Amino acid sequence: MKRNYYIFSNGRIKRKDNTICLENEKGKKYIPINDIEALYIFGEVDFNSKVLNFFGQNNITVHIFNYYGFYTSSIYPREHLLSGYSLVNQVKKYLDPVERIKLARETINTASYNILKNLKYYNPRRNEKLEDIILKIEKERKKIPYTNGIQDLMGTEGRIRDLYYSGFSIITMGKFKMKKRVKRPPDNPMNTLISFGNSLMYTTVLSEIYRTQLNPTISYLHEPGERRFSLSLDISEVFKPIITDRTIFKLINEGMIDQNHFTKELNFCHLNEKGRKVFMQQYEDKLNTVIKHKELERQVSYRRLIRLECYKLIKHINDIENYEGLKMWW
Amino acid sequence: MYILIVYDVGEKRVQKVLKFIRKHLIWIQNSVFEGNVTKAELLKIKNGLKEIVDQKEDSIIFFTARNERWIKKEIMGREKNATDNFI
Repeated sequence: MKRNYYIFSNGRIKRKDNTICLENEKGKKYIPINDIEALYIFGEVDFNSKVLNFFGQNNITVHIFNYYGFYTSSIYPREHLLSGYSLVNQVKKYLDPVERIKLARETINTASYNILKNLKYYNPRRNEKLEDIILKIEKERKKIPYTNGIQDLMGTEGRIRDLYYSGFSIITMGKFKMKKRVKRPPDNPMNTLISFGNSLMYTTVLSEIYRTQLNPTISYLHEPGERRFSLSLDISEVFKPIITDRTIFKLINEGMIDQNHFTKELNFCHLNEKGRKVFMQQYEDKLNTVIKHKELERQVSYRRLIRLECYKLIKHINDIENYEGLKMWW
Repeated sequence: MYILIVYDVGEKRVQKVLKFIRKHLIWIQNSVFEGNVTKAELLKIKNGLKEIVDQKEDSIIFFTARNERWIKKEIMGREKNATDNFI
C-alpha cells in the first residue's frame, strides 16, 4: 500500500519524531515514513545525513531531478536483499554470448509486441492510417530471432522505434508534431514528454529491482557501463509502451496538456511545474491501475507487473524457468 | 484497506499517540488520521497503540473500508491537510 511521494515544493526535509517532515515557510508537512515507497524530489530541498540514514534504515530510495525536471541521481540504500548465488548466475548469463543474446532478444521481442499492441489499438480509431507502420514493424520484428550480435539487435530495435515514433503524430491527431526522436535536449514538446516519461519509467523500474535480488548494474540488452543502472534500462523497454506511451497519448488526446505546460523560452524542451504535476498524476494513476492477472488469478497493478517481471528474470537466471516477457494480453 | 482513526485520550498521552500514528497515517484534523494500509500494518498500529494508551480511560475508534472508493469524503470549510502524494 506504500505510495510514491513527489515533492515539488522547496524546503527542508527533516527527521522528526521518527518520521519525515518537510518544513518550509508554509509550515510543516509530515509524511508517514511507513507509507513511502520512494521519494521523487523536483523542488529545491535540503537534507542532512540524519535523514539519509533514516531513509536507509527504512529502505527508501530517493530519486532526484534537476531544475529542468531531468533525472539526475538516486540515493540508493544499502543492499538488503543479497544473494551471492543469484549474482553469480546473473553474471554468468551475461558472460555467455549465447545466453546473453537470448535474453536481449526476448526483451526486444516483448517490447516490440507491446509497441504493436499500442499501434493496433489506435489503428481503427485513426482511420487505419497506422496500417503502413504496423506492417513495417511486423517485418522488422521477424528479423529479431536471426540477428547476430547485440549491435545488430540494437539496430533492429532502433528501426522499430523510429517507425513507432513516426506514428505518434497520427495517434495524437497532429496536435503534437514530431519528426524524429531527439534527446539531450529534446527539441519539441513531444520529445520532451517522451524523455520525461522515460526517465520516470527508469526510476520506477529501479525502485522495483531494488526490492528483488537482482543486481541493477548487470544488464543484457544494454551494455553494462560504469555508474549507471543498466538493468533498469533493459526492463524499462518492456514497460515504456505499456505505461509511459499510453500516459502520453492520454494526456494529449484528452487535452490535459498543451503549450502552456512547457517553457517557451527554452524552445519547449522542458516541462514547467504545472506540466510536470499533470504528467506525474496521470503516470501515478497508470501505475496504480489494476488488471486481472491470468496466472495469478487476482488483481495486480501495473507497478506490481514490473516486480513480477523482475521475478521472472530471477527465475530465468537461476535456470528455474525460461524468461518470457510480459506481452500485453488486455 | 482504507482506515480512519479517531482518538480521544488523556492529555498526558495525546502527544504520544499523535507522534506514533504520524509514522503510519496522514493527519487530517485534530485527533483524526486517515490512510491506506495493509492488514499487517493495521495490526502493527493497533499493537503500538495498545502500549501507549490506558484502555480503561482512553478511546480510539478505527473505521475501516475495503477500499477508499467505498467512502465518500466531503469537506466543509477548510481542508487542514491534503492527503495526496504530491507535495
